[in-house]
Amino acid sequence: MMSSNKNEQTVAAAAGFDQPLLLTYTQDIKGFLLKHLGRIVLFVLTCTSVLAVFLIFLFVILEAFPFLNRFSIVEFLTSTAWYPSAHERPEFGVLALIVGSIYVTITALVFSVPIGILAAVFLSDMISFQVRGIVKSIIEILAAIPSVAYGFFAVLVLAPWLQKHFGFPTGTNALNASLLLSIMALPTIISVAEDSISATGRELREASYALGATRVETMFKVVIPAAHSGIIAAIVLGMMRAIGETMVVWMASGNASQVPHPWWDLSQSVRTMTATIAGDMGETEKGSDHYRALFAIGLLLLVMTFMLNLVSEYFLTRAKKSMGKS
Amino acid sequence: MKASGRVILDKVFTVITGLSVILLIIVLLVILGPMLWRGLSAVAFKGTVEFRKMQLAEFGQGDESAVHIETAKAETAQKTVYEMIDRFKNGVDFEKLADRAKDIYRDFGEELQRKGLPREEYTELRSLSRKIRNELTAAFSSRDIGEINEHIDFVLKYSSDSRFEGTVASQFFRMAKDYRDAAANIDLEKRDEYASELAELEEIIKGLFGPHPEEDSPALAQFRYGATRWDQAQNLLYRLRWKEKWVEQEPGQPLVKIAVSRAELFAGTELEGLFGFVEMNLGRMLLPRWTFYWRYFVDDSTPGHYFGGVGPEILGTLMLTLLSMIFVVPFGVISAAYLAECARDNLIIRIIRMCINTLAGVPSIVFGLFGLAFFVLFFLPLFGAPSKPCILAGSLTLAVLTLPVMIRSSEEAIRAVPQTYKEASLALGASSFRTFVTVTLPAALPGILTGVILSLSRVAGETAPILFTAGIAVGPVPKSIFQTTRTLSYGSWDMAVADKLAAQVPHNQYGMVVALVLLILCLNALAIILRSRVFKRLKGH
Amino acid sequence: MSKEIVKVEGKDQMLSSTVLASKEKSGKLALLHGVKEKSVVKPMKKTKPVQECACPVVEARNFSFYYGSKMGIKDITMKIQPCAVTAIIGPSGCGKSTFLRSINRINDLIPNIRVEGEMFVNNQDIYVKQINLVNLRQQVGMVFQKPNPFPKSIFDNVAYGSKLQGIRKRGDLQEIVEESLKAAALWDEVKDDLRKSALSLSGGQQQRLCIARALATKPSVLLMDEPCSALDPISTGKIEDLIDNLKKDYTIVIVTHNMQQAARVSDQTAFFCLGELIEYDSTTTIFERPNKKQTEDYVTGRFG
Repeated sequence: MMSSNKNEQTVAAAAGFDQPLLLTYTQDIKGFLLKHLGRIVLFVLTCTSVLAVFLIFLFVILEAFPFLNRFSIVEFLTSTAWYPSAHERPEFGVLALIVGSIYVTITALVFSVPIGILAAVFLSDMISFQVRGIVKSIIEILAAIPSVAYGFFAVLVLAPWLQKHFGFPTGTNALNASLLLSIMALPTIISVAEDSISATGRELREASYALGATRVETMFKVVIPAAHSGIIAAIVLGMMRAIGETMVVWMASGNASQVPHPWWDLSQSVRTMTATIAGDMGETEKGSDHYRALFAIGLLLLVMTFMLNLVSEYFLTRAKKSMGKS
Repeated sequence: MKASGRVILDKVFTVITGLSVILLIIVLLVILGPMLWRGLSAVAFKGTVEFRKMQLAEFGQGDESAVHIETAKAETAQKTVYEMIDRFKNGVDFEKLADRAKDIYRDFGEELQRKGLPREEYTELRSLSRKIRNELTAAFSSRDIGEINEHIDFVLKYSSDSRFEGTVASQFFRMAKDYRDAAANIDLEKRDEYASELAELEEIIKGLFGPHPEEDSPALAQFRYGATRWDQAQNLLYRLRWKEKWVEQEPGQPLVKIAVSRAELFAGTELEGLFGFVEMNLGRMLLPRWTFYWRYFVDDSTPGHYFGGVGPEILGTLMLTLLSMIFVVPFGVISAAYLAECARDNLIIRIIRMCINTLAGVPSIVFGLFGLAFFVLFFLPLFGAPSKPCILAGSLTLAVLTLPVMIRSSEEAIRAVPQTYKEASLALGASSFRTFVTVTLPAALPGILTGVILSLSRVAGETAPILFTAGIAVGPVPKSIFQTTRTLSYGSWDMAVADKLAAQVPHNQYGMVVALVLLILCLNALAIILRSRVFKRLKGH
Repeated sequence: MSKEIVKVEGKDQMLSSTVLASKEKSGKLALLHGVKEKSVVKPMKKTKPVQECACPVVEARNFSFYYGSKMGIKDITMKIQPCAVTAIIGPSGCGKSTFLRSINRINDLIPNIRVEGEMFVNNQDIYVKQINLVNLRQQVGMVFQKPNPFPKSIFDNVAYGSKLQGIRKRGDLQEIVEESLKAAALWDEVKDDLRKSALSLSGGQQQRLCIARALATKPSVLLMDEPCSALDPISTGKIEDLIDNLKKDYTIVIVTHNMQQAARVSDQTAFFCLGELIEYDSTTTIFERPNKKQTEDYVTGRFG
């Protein structure tokens, strides 16, 4: 029977307390050192990210500084004359480039924000779990496609098509770039917005339904206002993605350094800051004014995205706080 | 709003949101579909004998004897075409004819000298032959059939002269006869046109069949072979049969492109039948066959990516990405471990997290600038390496770019391991470190691996950071990490925008970008599969 | 497992045959043998006669535990009897688990904790700076509420603790694993394939695996934090039998929500309420003639 077996088996059990409960001095010191040394090493390694950010800012500023010192910053930021290779008096006004970046970004958002929020609503509310997995995979695929592939599509497929069907003088213009940028920003917007909409929880929705509201009313009057911080963060993150994008705008925007004249005419070519850096760098001498001006543009980009990052962080923490309370 | 109105609005809303997702799916298909379709034609297509010739000569691939047999077969079929052209040229290409006349005159002069004739006869025959030559030349360059016949008749008067029999000069008369026949058949007004049309025609034939078997092999690889692909051949066939012209159909309106049949241009001449003949027999002349060119992913390419594959680009991409992973994974996993296990919520940790977020938001081109300013110009020289772009600089830059992704996914994976495992391990007497290494880390490993794969796929697609730090469009296969390299991403950009030849080989253009997209999609699919397995594994607890 | 009524020191007692057998071995009593059906009605255990026991004594003296500023338990003074089962009962949130987890200092995982008073294990206050936590935890084993085997094989789970102790040889490990699994009454069910993943076992089997794992380090004290609360009745019964078997060689402290379980398995019972020790006495006393009204109210179900 079981019991007799157990008897024999518990022979070696419970031999009593034979191990010391106190650490010897050396053990204690060793443990202390190891633990703290270990933590310090890990901490230092973790600080590589801080180091990286520091170095990025440092080196970009270092390379840009001589330029910013010699040329007037005000002229840099407000002049639309970008003629860096002019022989006599090269001009380095980046206003047209800034406007170009903002122009395509805002237009891209105009396309992607409504679609993105609607899709996020759809994902979080309207479909079953399995279908949601499939749709999320599709969005992940969209996000995974590299920007050079989008740029390829823009130049070789979309541009001729636009030219043929709309009679534009050229297919590489602001419209082309904005369309592709909106596709690239969509996955970011959708995933962050969907996260924050889902985070509002079932209770809120159930309460609204219990009062007789329809789905759309619940969405727009209850859920989206509750998730509004997260949605704003999503939009800001999408904006960050669009402004920082290089390859697509370089290939698709036409690279004409001009402020678009009737502001609503999307068929004009524009040039963005990112495309300028990418395009000009190959032809400039290291250390020349042009080279440093490009770093100045890079610094400007860095500052802009950093600010946008802070804004999105602010809204994300606000979203978390409001979720935490409910 | 009335209740029914609200319900309708509700349904409409549901439909609209559904439509937005359908729009996304459509966009994905529209973007990926044509690209994949055209790109895959770089690997699976109908290849002609020219392709097999090219593979043998340029890449050493294929069965030599089989290729020779095929080449002979094709050349036999093509012979008719060349003969037709030659005959036509004899009748039309008066410059060539005039040159030939001059050659005959010169050869005849030499022959006379060898014969050792008395001086008077020599000079007489010489001047006679000169006169014949001039008459012929005049006939060749004349446009008036009457004039031509006059000149030819003059020449042919001497055809029965015994002094010319059996000599080189008898060729004069053959030429004259041929020419008279030809001239009778063609529209002499159009002779100049014929010259240029013929030149165009010959160019297309060269594009189809390659250079004439008796010509020297051209220097550039792209001109050494005819149409290597059947679809290319079909395009050329179209151009052969139809010439596109801009005409003004209605006065005052912009010019319209119309297609004119070339056969019409050569109406009444020998060449009129060429076009139909070529069309009917093109299969026999090019011997097309379904080819699965899997070596596309291995072979190098000829200049301009005209022929060949993307082997070096794939190698470059792999080298860059794997090397950058080697740099980033240790830092990423250790940082994640620290943040997940040891970090308390104090200011320093918040600064670290903010820096990670900042890194994640830096535009990729700024990483390129950083890579240039720091790694290429500062860091590498510190260690004695030349301050030039190279794979090492590129992968270091990419490692910094992907660090936040790695940290975030690793931290998520580590945090996902249930706290109870840690408790159980500690309760058994294991130290924190031991617990982490033997329990937490193995449990988090699939999640971390997913993160590595996702980072890999991100890094493989990046172009902007390597523009100034590692990438080139044209160059040799790198032998060390201190050289630059071609990559799929850089190459795709180059083929789409910068490379002039690329437009002629759309299948190679698309092939490059499709190779990149397929690589990335496969990596992502792998990550998705891994992630679902992780989910299942930890779900048991 | 069968139970018998035997005369011990003049009193009628119902003892399990395991205990009988051990008593036979120690030659202290004459026994009547007979196999009976396992009785459905759970009997009440009487206090065991004090035997020689090698287990350490766990003693709390004015022990208090604070989560930051919130109190967990206050001023607990009690001495755990060696080689016996002590049950800790009480309503939710009254500090039972906190106290239990203080014995092997697994609470240290929580940030911002504060301890007052002393907790003695084998006459050593374990809340001193030089405490050897590794040795402490290897000798004071713990089984958690929700079965938590590692996502490793059954063998690796049980061998984990032994490997920590430095036992590396295959043969030794195999012996220990087999022993522990047998002690946990799991050996017969898993002996065919020890390489199987531990997560493929059923809930009850996983919990027994966790017990085997805890036993592998040869602890003297076994802490069990509501070990059966996540299990079905059959598994619960098996584990209760297990506890019965183990108690003669181990000091067992079990926290339970289930009063009937406490009555079934334990020799001593402590009643906690709102972080304070209300009453600590033999199980019979607590359940039949409690001294405090609060205890009586709880035990009779008037609150909690």
